[in-house]
Amino acid sequence: MNLSEIPIRVEPNLAEEGLGGGVKALLHEVLTMLERLVSTGTEGAVDLRSLPMTPDDWQGLYAALGEGGVDAVFESNGRSRVRETAVPGVWWIEHRDADDNVVASFLEVTTVPPLLTTDLVDVRAGIPRLRAMLTQAGAQAPFHGGQYDG
Amino acid sequence: MADSDSTQTVGEALRAQGISRRDFLKFCTVTASLMAMPPLAGRAMAKQLASMKRSSVIYVSFQECTGCLESLTRSFSPTVENLIFNVISLDYDDTLMAAAGEAAENAREAAMQKNWGKYVLIVDGAVPTGDGGVYHTAAGKSAEQILAHVAKGAAAVVSIGTCASFGGLPIAAPNPTGAVPVSDLVTDKPVVNISGCPPIPAVVTGTLVHYYTQGRLPDLDSYGRPLAFYGNNIHDRCYRRPFYDKGQFAKTFDDEGARNGWCLWELGCKGPVTYNACATLKWNQGTSFPIQSGHPCLGCAEPGFWDGGSFYAPLATGKWGRAGETRPRDMAFVAGAPAGIGAVVGVGAAGWARMRRKHLEDKPREEED
Amino acid sequence: MDPLLSFVRGQMLEVAIAVFCFGVLWRLVGVTLLRHVRSLSPARYGRVRAVVEGSFVAGTRSWPHKAFIRRTGYGEALGYGYHLALFIVILLFAPHITFLKSLIGLSWPALPSSLINIIAVLTLALLIAVLVRRISKPVTRMLSNFDDYFSWLLVTATVVTGLMATAHLGAPYHQLLAWHILSVDALLIWFPFGKLMHAFYIFPSRVINGYTLARKGGAA
Repeated sequence: MNLSEIPIRVEPNLAEEGLGGGVKALLHEVLTMLERLVSTGTEGAVDLRSLPMTPDDWQGLYAALGEGGVDAVFESNGRSRVRETAVPGVWWIEHRDADDNVVASFLEVTTVPPLLTTDLVDVRAGIPRLRAMLTQAGAQAPFHGGQYDG
Repeated sequence: MADSDSTQTVGEALRAQGISRRDFLKFCTVTASLMAMPPLAGRAMAKQLASMKRSSVIYVSFQECTGCLESLTRSFSPTVENLIFNVISLDYDDTLMAAAGEAAENAREAAMQKNWGKYVLIVDGAVPTGDGGVYHTAAGKSAEQILAHVAKGAAAVVSIGTCASFGGLPIAAPNPTGAVPVSDLVTDKPVVNISGCPPIPAVVTGTLVHYYTQGRLPDLDSYGRPLAFYGNNIHDRCYRRPFYDKGQFAKTFDDEGARNGWCLWELGCKGPVTYNACATLKWNQGTSFPIQSGHPCLGCAEPGFWDGGSFYAPLATGKWGRAGETRPRDMAFVAGAPAGIGAVVGVGAAGWARMRRKHLEDKPREEED
Repeated sequence: MDPLLSFVRGQMLEVAIAVFCFGVLWRLVGVTLLRHVRSLSPARYGRVRAVVEGSFVAGTRSWPHKAFIRRTGYGEALGYGYHLALFIVILLFAPHITFLKSLIGLSWPALPSSLINIIAVLTLALLIAVLVRRISKPVTRMLSNFDDYFSWLLVTATVVTGLMATAHLGAPYHQLLAWHILSVDALLIWFPFGKLMHAFYIFPSRVINGYTLARKGGAA
């Protein structure tokens, strides 16, 4: 029998309008962080794994925040996902390991999470590579292989 | 094993291996979350670690089975834990390093001298002190001597595994080699015990990362273990706890209860008295842990767990008895024999009382005033 | 394994059980074999009938006569209350059944642990009430000695430490468990040497009284 078949019944949260008490408190905290971001520019974050969340809470939180327009994925010893929720400035970040287990889950309140920016150190490291590629291709030959090439 | 280059920062070393700042930020964020640090701590950690020089670490092994090192280094795919080897410069480890003999010893001395007062000493295995310490010798020196020497210039000492932390298997009765834990011998440096047989790799990584970013060891419990990982017992975080609370126990390893994943308390689980992160972090990147696999917790992160009675004797039973657990047949010695002796003494007491009574009754009346 | 926990469920428990068995047998046999005062008047009933009548009387005398209920009923109820509650907690709690099974090889179904918890709290309340009554009534206060208070202390300590352990309250669990088992060990060692022996004496004692009276024709 695997873990998910073991019949442990999880007590559902008694919720008003579908939002559990824990989720409501969390969203109030996020609201405060958003107000602080607008007034002082201070970023905020919540470590979702540090809170006691039932599967119903996760569902409730996901439903409440919704999905925004940005959905970025990157691979680094497992997949990581950075998604802006339907609430602008609230980003849901989920890190997985190489076996696809979730190892960390955050809500970040910011204009753009640092994970989406590129450090200048990495930019500097990439410049010689592009330069070498251009040198190889030659100055006259058209550049193929761009992302939007037909 | 990487060389320690005194001019290269951690960030530069990462970059050289094709690991981007983004990858490193993920590693730091995940580690900070594991250590229950504040949610934005990962960013500060990444910034700080990236700009520091790679720290020298010296790893020495004594009475151990190498399981702790295997736990830390062996994985089938690159893991978050392995990134720690980019933050540190593992300047000496006799299992992993390519050099051997004098060359290896010289490398260690050179690393010690170059980083005097700053290197972290990691120790696994207990230290035998019996008979002058002859039960572990390398390069003509006993383990005691090696430890004393290598610890001299260390900034901090990390005892990895239950053997180094508490003596583990070597210290179990009758302790023929006179094994002692590292903390018994190193008393002038901060020592942290990362116990477990073996310990969870993320616990080792997290503690080291905390040390490097905060400049000190994390808060420790009364056994010298990081509270962030050893603050809760297995019982309080076990997913089978609802069965314990309802009184549903597996009685044998293959009965209906065992098949339904019921609590393993009656099969000897030491979860209630064992403090570790097994139930939450689990093993092999969160795959499983002993209880989830159907075996009761041995209590391997606790001192003296080998001498704590049978692994299969429930906590509610005594730990004496010929099998290392109490069984009804042991009652013949512990209860039956004393009861028999008591009965004999009782007969004697009654006999004495009767004799005394008769003596009093037989005394001539006049003397009784 | 915490050294104290290891000790109290190891050597100390062995010694405690040995002392308990030695002590109980010593006192039981010692008392049973004492000289009985022979009754010189002819018996009114035969031995068998006397035993039956005597046992019946021992039962009916276990609760105060109507005339005395107002004065002694409260104390009797308290006493019966905590005895019953204590036996339920000791004999019907799953970990205790596991412990007894390791000693005598028998086990039986347990009550839900949450119910046992409630009964244990009730036991503690009754134990405290009993002590308050003993100290506040002048006669019982005058009659009470070290034996009474020490026996009460050991029993109450066992109940308190048991409740603390179940609630994981006040110290790490392994320490609480160690103190609880230590209390049990101390209780077992003290048991044969004080008034707690009434547990073994009381029923034979009452039946013998009843028998003796029945032989004299006094049973009613």
